[in-house]
Amino acid sequence: MKKSLKLIAAAASLTLITGVAVAPSAQAAKIKLCLALDTGGVDDHSFNQGAWTGAQESRVSNAEYLPASSSADFAPNIKTFVDKGCQLIVGVGFAISAEIVKSAKANPKISYAVVDDAGLDCDANWNCSPVSNVKGLTFKTDDAAFQAGYLAAGMSKTKKVATYGGMAFPTVTIFMDGFARGVAYWNQNKKKQVEVLGWDISNPDAGTFVGNFSDQNKALTISKGFEQQGADIIMPVAGNLGSAYAAASEKSKKSLTIWVDSDGFYNLTAGKDIVLTTVVKEIGASIKSVAADVAAKKFTNDSYVGTLKNKGVSIAPYHKLASKVRGKLKSEVLRIKNDIIKGNLDISTIK
Amino acid sequence: MKNLVSKFGQTAKLPALSFALAFSITGLLIAFSDSKVLAKIGSPIEFIKSGLATIGNAYLALFQGSIFDINLARGNSFFQGFYPLSETIVTATPLILTGLSVALAFRSGLFNIGAQGQFIFGAIGASYVGFHFNLPTVIHILFAALAGIVLAAIWGGIVGILKAKTGAHEVILTIMMNYIAGYFILWILKTKPFLRPGRIDPIAPEVGLSARLPLLAGENLRIHAGIFIALASALFVWWLLAKTTIGFKFRAVGANSQAARTAGISVPFVVTSTMAICGGLAGLGGAVHVMGSAHALNTDVAGSFGFDAITVALLGRAQPLGTVFAALLFGALRAGGRTMQSNTGTPLDIVLVTQALIVLFIAAPTFVRFIFRLKKLSSSASLTSKGWNG
Repeated sequence: MKKSLKLIAAAASLTLITGVAVAPSAQAAKIKLCLALDTGGVDDHSFNQGAWTGAQESRVSNAEYLPASSSADFAPNIKTFVDKGCQLIVGVGFAISAEIVKSAKANPKISYAVVDDAGLDCDANWNCSPVSNVKGLTFKTDDAAFQAGYLAAGMSKTKKVATYGGMAFPTVTIFMDGFARGVAYWNQNKKKQVEVLGWDISNPDAGTFVGNFSDQNKALTISKGFEQQGADIIMPVAGNLGSAYAAASEKSKKSLTIWVDSDGFYNLTAGKDIVLTTVVKEIGASIKSVAADVAAKKFTNDSYVGTLKNKGVSIAPYHKLASKVRGKLKSEVLRIKNDIIKGNLDISTIK
Repeated sequence: MKNLVSKFGQTAKLPALSFALAFSITGLLIAFSDSKVLAKIGSPIEFIKSGLATIGNAYLALFQGSIFDINLARGNSFFQGFYPLSETIVTATPLILTGLSVALAFRSGLFNIGAQGQFIFGAIGASYVGFHFNLPTVIHILFAALAGIVLAAIWGGIVGILKAKTGAHEVILTIMMNYIAGYFILWILKTKPFLRPGRIDPIAPEVGLSARLPLLAGENLRIHAGIFIALASALFVWWLLAKTTIGFKFRAVGANSQAARTAGISVPFVVTSTMAICGGLAGLGGAVHVMGSAHALNTDVAGSFGFDAITVALLGRAQPLGTVFAALLFGALRAGGRTMQSNTGTPLDIVLVTQALIVLFIAAPTFVRFIFRLKKLSSSASLTSKGWNG
């Protein structure tokens, strides 16, 4: 099943990818930017795609990528880039971090970056130290998810909202954390009792997860389960897994969805009408920023942290649902953003 | 001797022709998916010229990425030029073992779809022994490999027992057992003993240095001693099938289980022991993968080694030697596909198309025979269709 899907996808994307990958013009001043992707493919509607889109937009570099079919591909993919003379190698996803660090230590003249990880060199006892040529690209996703949670609580008619993840990775649960705290902030301010299904900050082991990033049916079942329990706004933090649910819910009108990573309104083929907003994580922007550093010979190993302030994280426009969101709620959500940026609001204190 | 050569020629004919056909079609796909080639469709000569150039470049990159790369050899050491070959063998090593697992089952008339799950249990066993214990190097490797083999043999053996006792079909059983194994590894990676200190994501500690298979060509190449284990296992399977009584029983049941039963062979015994040995082989694949190149257990440690194994065994005509060659071919496609994508922009996924085409043609010998106007292909094509009646 999976294989046949891959085949269809391969055949379908042939023209597209070939067209794109051979396109870059040869300009001497540009740096060679190489992306070692995580599993899931370049067209995952999620972080691989976000990274690749950002890399292509970078004006200072010629970009290329290699996909991984499993973690066994990470090391040889990076080695291929080293042999090709890439000046900046970006590992997309924390899973590839250890291999990036290994390669970086062996090739001190190449600059490296890792998405969603600090890119530290850690020994067996977890004593970690920074590596001079590895930059971590991390995101304060929970700040943006906090806004989304507040918005969801304010929008919910049933007083129940839900979230679930693909797998319990820290990069996933940070969305759910922020979302739940946002709901709690609404309850605190408005003296209301909006309930969050699927995630409890004080009991993370009981969180709801699909168990992978490939089982669309299971994600759909989980979503429908939440709808039956009364949730009318659902945030799936599972890459492209939420798309089957979004398409179904567009028809059934049972719930609205909050998308993650890159704006669902532009990424979904079906279901965009019920995308309330998206917790956007600008992986592309972080890659453009580190590419610019390398091109200008200003590369350092200080981590890039995407925040609301530098627009590394944000919530997307409400698009078609803009008229459904009350003006007061809109301005409150905006005020939360400003409060967080100014440091007046520390979301970790809200439970 | 002459007889043997012609026999080998007969067995190899179908795979070789399928191979040629698959590569021709893939070539067309490569050419027609290149926008620069398509732009020249107006003038036929230019079109064919640039089409052939594109195909040539892609296949050259495939060779560079899987056998030998002169650009790497020009650096500090000529030896580095063989880095691609090393990658081919590293990928092929677990595939040989899982392929043997499926091939051996075929020979006993069983369809082992469960190599994936057996691989996972082999990897779990070897990984745990590898990081938990501290032993002298050779003993540590043996112990870890044994742990992998035993766990996976039990996992495979369960299917054999269920089939022998209840008549449940092994295809369904092994598919379900794959699911169980897949979720089991998700669960076990979240348990205390398997969590890497300081991490909360599902990744196990790396196996100790004493449990790693020795590298064969220095630090820069990943090729490790696992290839010898794989080749020895191929030899073992050949010996088992050709030279032992139990192997004879396996083949007898594979050829006709009713006749075998009438002749006094215990079919339940054959089914159970075949599945246990198959499990052990796939488990050894998992163990070798963990001790040789992966070093740490994670949720997708098994990749598609267990599923590709079915293709490998089919391509290898369920013969040990054939399986070794088929696995090497798949390893080469995997390794070369990377360079092909990186150098020429031809998507890596195209090698999946090639793999699928090869198997498609092997599974449809009549079609290949028709294309090449062959009268008769000596084939054991029946081996693919045995599953439901065995």
